Amino acid sequence: MSDGPLIVQSDKTLLLEVDNPLARECRAAIAPFAELERSPEHVHTYRVTPLALWNARAAGHDAEQVVDALVRFSRYPVPHALLVDIADTMDRYGRLTLANNPVHGLVLTTTDKAVLAEVVRSKKVAPMLGARIDEDTVVVHPSERGRLKQALLKVGWPAEDLAGYVDGQAHPIELDQSSWHLRDYQQEAVEGFWAGGSGVVVLPCGAGKTLVGAAAMAEAKATTLILVTNTVSGRQWKRELIARTSLTEEEIGEYSGERKEIRPVTIATYQVITTRRKGEYRHLDLFDAQDWGLIVYDEVHLLPAPIFRLTADLQSRRRLGLTATLVREDGREDDVFSLIGPKRYDAPWKDIESQGYIAPAECVEVRVALDDEERMTYAVAEPEERYRIAATAHSKLAVIRRVLERHPDEQKLVIGAYLDQLEELGTALDAPVIQGSTTNREREKLFDAFRAGEVKTLVVSKVANFSIDLPEAAVAVQVSGTFGSRQEEAQRLGRVLRPKADGRQAHFYTVVSRDTLDSEYAAHRQRFLAEQGYAYTIVDAADLAGPGEVNGPDWVDEPAD
Amino acid sequence: MSPEAPATLAAWLRTRSDEHLAALLAARPDVARPAPSDVVALASRLAVPVSVDRALDELDAATLQVLDVVLLAPTDGLPPDELVAALPGVPDDVLTAAVDRLTTRALLWGDEVLHAPEPVRRAVRHPAGLGRRAADLRVPLPADLPVAVAELAPEERTVLEKLAGDRPVGHLPDSPNGASTPARRLLQRGLLARIDALNVELPREIGLLLRGTAPYGPPRRRPEPAVVTKDPATLDRRAAGAALESVGRVGELLVLLEEEPAGLLRSGGVGVRDQKRLAKALHVAEPEVAWLLELAFTAGLLDVGGPHRDEWLPTRAYDVWREQDLADRWAVLAAGWLEAVRLPSLVGVRDLAGKSTNPLSPELVRHTAPAIRRSALAVLAEQPAGSGLAPEDLTALLRWRTPRRADRLAPVPDMLTEAARLGVLVSGVLSTAGRGLLAAGEDGAADGMRGLLPEPVDHVLAQPDLSLVAPGPLVAELADTLAVVADVESSGGATVFRVSEGSVRRTLDAGWSATELHDFFARASRTPVPQALDYLIADVARQHGRLRVGAIESYVRSDDHGLLSQVQNDRRTASAELRRLAPGVLVSGLGADEVLTVLREAGYAPAGENPGGAVLTRPPARPRAAGRRTGSESHPPPRPLGPEEVAATVREIRAGDAALAARRGEAVRQVPGVTTASTLELLSRAVREGVPVWLGYVDAQGSGSQRVVQPVSLAGGFLSGYDERRGENRTFAVHRITSVALVETDDAG
Repeated sequence: MSDGPLIVQSDKTLLLEVDNPLARECRAAIAPFAELERSPEHVHTYRVTPLALWNARAAGHDAEQVVDALVRFSRYPVPHALLVDIADTMDRYGRLTLANNPVHGLVLTTTDKAVLAEVVRSKKVAPMLGARIDEDTVVVHPSERGRLKQALLKVGWPAEDLAGYVDGQAHPIELDQSSWHLRDYQQEAVEGFWAGGSGVVVLPCGAGKTLVGAAAMAEAKATTLILVTNTVSGRQWKRELIARTSLTEEEIGEYSGERKEIRPVTIATYQVITTRRKGEYRHLDLFDAQDWGLIVYDEVHLLPAPIFRLTADLQSRRRLGLTATLVREDGREDDVFSLIGPKRYDAPWKDIESQGYIAPAECVEVRVALDDEERMTYAVAEPEERYRIAATAHSKLAVIRRVLERHPDEQKLVIGAYLDQLEELGTALDAPVIQGSTTNREREKLFDAFRAGEVKTLVVSKVANFSIDLPEAAVAVQVSGTFGSRQEEAQRLGRVLRPKADGRQAHFYTVVSRDTLDSEYAAHRQRFLAEQGYAYTIVDAADLAGPGEVNGPDWVDEPAD
Repeated sequence: MSPEAPATLAAWLRTRSDEHLAALLAARPDVARPAPSDVVALASRLAVPVSVDRALDELDAATLQVLDVVLLAPTDGLPPDELVAALPGVPDDVLTAAVDRLTTRALLWGDEVLHAPEPVRRAVRHPAGLGRRAADLRVPLPADLPVAVAELAPEERTVLEKLAGDRPVGHLPDSPNGASTPARRLLQRGLLARIDALNVELPREIGLLLRGTAPYGPPRRRPEPAVVTKDPATLDRRAAGAALESVGRVGELLVLLEEEPAGLLRSGGVGVRDQKRLAKALHVAEPEVAWLLELAFTAGLLDVGGPHRDEWLPTRAYDVWREQDLADRWAVLAAGWLEAVRLPSLVGVRDLAGKSTNPLSPELVRHTAPAIRRSALAVLAEQPAGSGLAPEDLTALLRWRTPRRADRLAPVPDMLTEAARLGVLVSGVLSTAGRGLLAAGEDGAADGMRGLLPEPVDHVLAQPDLSLVAPGPLVAELADTLAVVADVESSGGATVFRVSEGSVRRTLDAGWSATELHDFFARASRTPVPQALDYLIADVARQHGRLRVGAIESYVRSDDHGLLSQVQNDRRTASAELRRLAPGVLVSGLGADEVLTVLREAGYAPAGENPGGAVLTRPPARPRAAGRRTGSESHPPPRPLGPEEVAATVREIRAGDAALAARRGEAVRQVPGVTTASTLELLSRAVREGVPVWLGYVDAQGSGSQRVVQPVSLAGGFLSGYDERRGENRTFAVHRITSVALVETDDAG
């Protein structure tokens, strides 16, 4: 028996005791082949998946290293069967190789004839393969490269892709680091991505994913297509790129509903690409409009299904996916990994927080008791109406106001999902409302005013869930959401995580109606953040202390004077 | 043959020393019980075919080869030096040892010349893989055999050469309308003998001819397989890993079966549906579930039970087992497996009708299984600690050791896999605990594993995401409680639980209060209880029990509340046990009929109503199967023959033999109870001359016996003397002596 920090479970999850002196060393040893699943306060959970093992193989780790890491750090004897299984799984990688053949173009070759025979006979794989050249080699239709890799992954024989990437049209891009520096973890993320060729970088909201993108572009020095969720976020990208790189306004094009510019660096929205007219995608040409050297997918967890299909055709180009929460409610994480690439970098939120790059946040769930009339309405409502009724209860209004009063000097966001509720809140709080129908110009104007501090409180719909950079926002009040979406919760918290100039704390409030579906969903939503190590404090609305009161936001245990 | 050499097996046995006889009895214990009365009886016991087969089954290939040489000798009896010539490739010491082994077991006898007893000849059907003699097969061989064989066509020769290998009997291929195949042509020429409708046999002469200079085949030396060595510390750690996994999994399986027992199939065993359910719940493949079920069953932790004896349930032994520490728990599993008369590897194997065998089915029983398992592991136990053999080498060695039992070795590879799953074996090497298991059973196994398995922990770490991590195996009490208050999310070295609304509600249903739950978490968690957990409990508790559900047998209702109050307070209706549930409703735990009767007798005029609402009750206690005693299914191995018992038996044989020889002397018979003069005369002569007598004697229980006694005195109707067979001084009532004879010492050998 040793005092190792790691406990290996039968289901291939690894439990890492954070307080153990060897924890840091152990984390570094297991990170290459295990996915971080949860990182709450005391014990972090990693999972060894076949995909993670294959990624480790692709990154040059062999089974012996993996087994050694497990055995060395494990507190208890590791089941032999599990080690054998790991070795077997890793052994499956690399039996098949995708490579460029000077005569036949893209080919699938093997070192194990039986494996090739098996995959060639598979119904899923066969249509993507062409003529058999010899016993060990079969031609692959170049357009099927991505789909083939995906299918091979599903049948359990992942192919090592040695066909390489095209360089694309060269275009000089440099980082302009005169007034700032790439942080260590950003640098590591870029290096991890570049070494692997393609892949996904997972960083918390506010940790500077845009800069990782910019640095990757500076590494590629080639024309780049950036896909973003919406126009506002696209413009933010543009602003950042102009400020942080050698790129000028003229070199960056916007390809959106409003403008259709194609420049060496082009920023397009998912929406415009997936717009269909008469059943056809009309903007697919964009992908062929340039010899792109790099494609950046912002908020890759939102990547719509049609873009998945397109991405499959782009396997010879370098792809970078950026996200804070690779939790897809549709469970298509695996597709992201197989089409964009494996996870190249991941860091626990709390780690980055402790380094001071994202603001520490206090998460509070405020429970509001509904009044009798509301309870009755709720009780008799149709099931599909119940959440809306609970989430938009009027009783919340007073509490929301009280929450905002706790932070008179901060920039505050009130985030909700139901437009009539937002309108009502806007009127009641005398704050401007930004929602889907607000024009881009209007949005920009309001965001600018907010950044400048002219507007203290903004009421926003879920358009603000993503990619709006509001560094000054320090308080977010969540009043309603999209049912139990975990990643929405994380993204909303992300709005206030930008580090504050004076290093002060951010506050994230969720106002929920007690004993209703609202609190049930809230519990589900909180799980992701709880797993990231954010502890929620639950308070009853009646106990919510105001500024200057005991336990109020500015309360300190010792009297200040 | 020298003139003084013994002419029969019995005579030869008589010439053997006591040590030799003792060795014979020890090597063939089946002839020692009950003790044979004399050497002749011993010789006839040794000739029993079953006993001969058993003795031959235990011989290794090299020894059997030596036996073959003697059996194939043209004359009866073969001098040992001819043996050496017949097997040129075999070293002398091997040869001597083999002859010694055979003569010790009386499978060969004779000192100058080795003879094979007839039963041994019959038992070895095809010595050295050769057929019977042509004469015995009634085949007239061609006059010039070598020429006849040399003239054969190549395909015919191939057939002969094949039959001249290990097995002289071959299957006659089907040939439609009697077409001429090589085998049929050989039959016609008289080079093959037909032994039944389908099979042919190659006469010994032709086999020997084809084998040429090596008639007995190549020397069958003991295989010397490459030894696998492992670092003992790593070895035991890996074994402990497997052990931990086995114990954990079996525990989980039994908890699942406790909650929902598996149904007993009509054919015995567990059905596919239950197997699938368990596999899903345990997150393992179905074959793994089958193995775990078998493991739990052979350890006596799982059996058929339930009110109708149609469910698989944890046994009472399980309750004891789960309280034991991990090493002991593992030892129970390992010992159960070692002695099990079942082959779990046969689960899923399809029988001739194409039906696959279910786990726990009686069809898995093979009574030879424990012996095979032990013999396979015993080979590994002979290796020094930390060394072992690869499975295929082990099988080859076993095949050499007991070639006549080679057909029983089929399950060995699966048994080795099972041993590895348990942690008895790690990549072909026995773990310390595995050695302990073989040497000292359950206790040895537990001792070998102790210290390698984690100590149980009595706390959990509660985290804000409502998960509880038990960083090691839990003490049984805490595990029980946690099984109620939380759901298991992941298990192994540690256990991860998750507290959810559902699990808290379940706990409250089980009669816990919110305060007790709070206290429990505060006590069990080493980390501060997260606020979210406290709120969760408080939330669920607030909602819990707002609706009340109970079971009653009957109710009394009336719109006249006053009447109901009157009924309730009426002394005459007290026996109806009425209770007011709500205005207008009284309820009773008694049946409607009884309440009606009571009310009627009290002078009311109640009317019955159709009963409404179902009654649900929970079973009062956890169901348990009665269970059986572990290993009762397995026949206990025969009591080993101790050296003392062997010595006593040899003494008895000697005495019997002496008595047998003595029968040749003058015998006096008498009717019991009538002491004749000649009896007394013979006895007193024997006392006087100090000559042993052979007595026929009936004891107080009326059972007769014969014994040789060295008489000391004759007085008062009692003869006292030294009983040679019993090896003790005894007194014999003269009236119970049925016959007497003097033992003629000069004739005794």
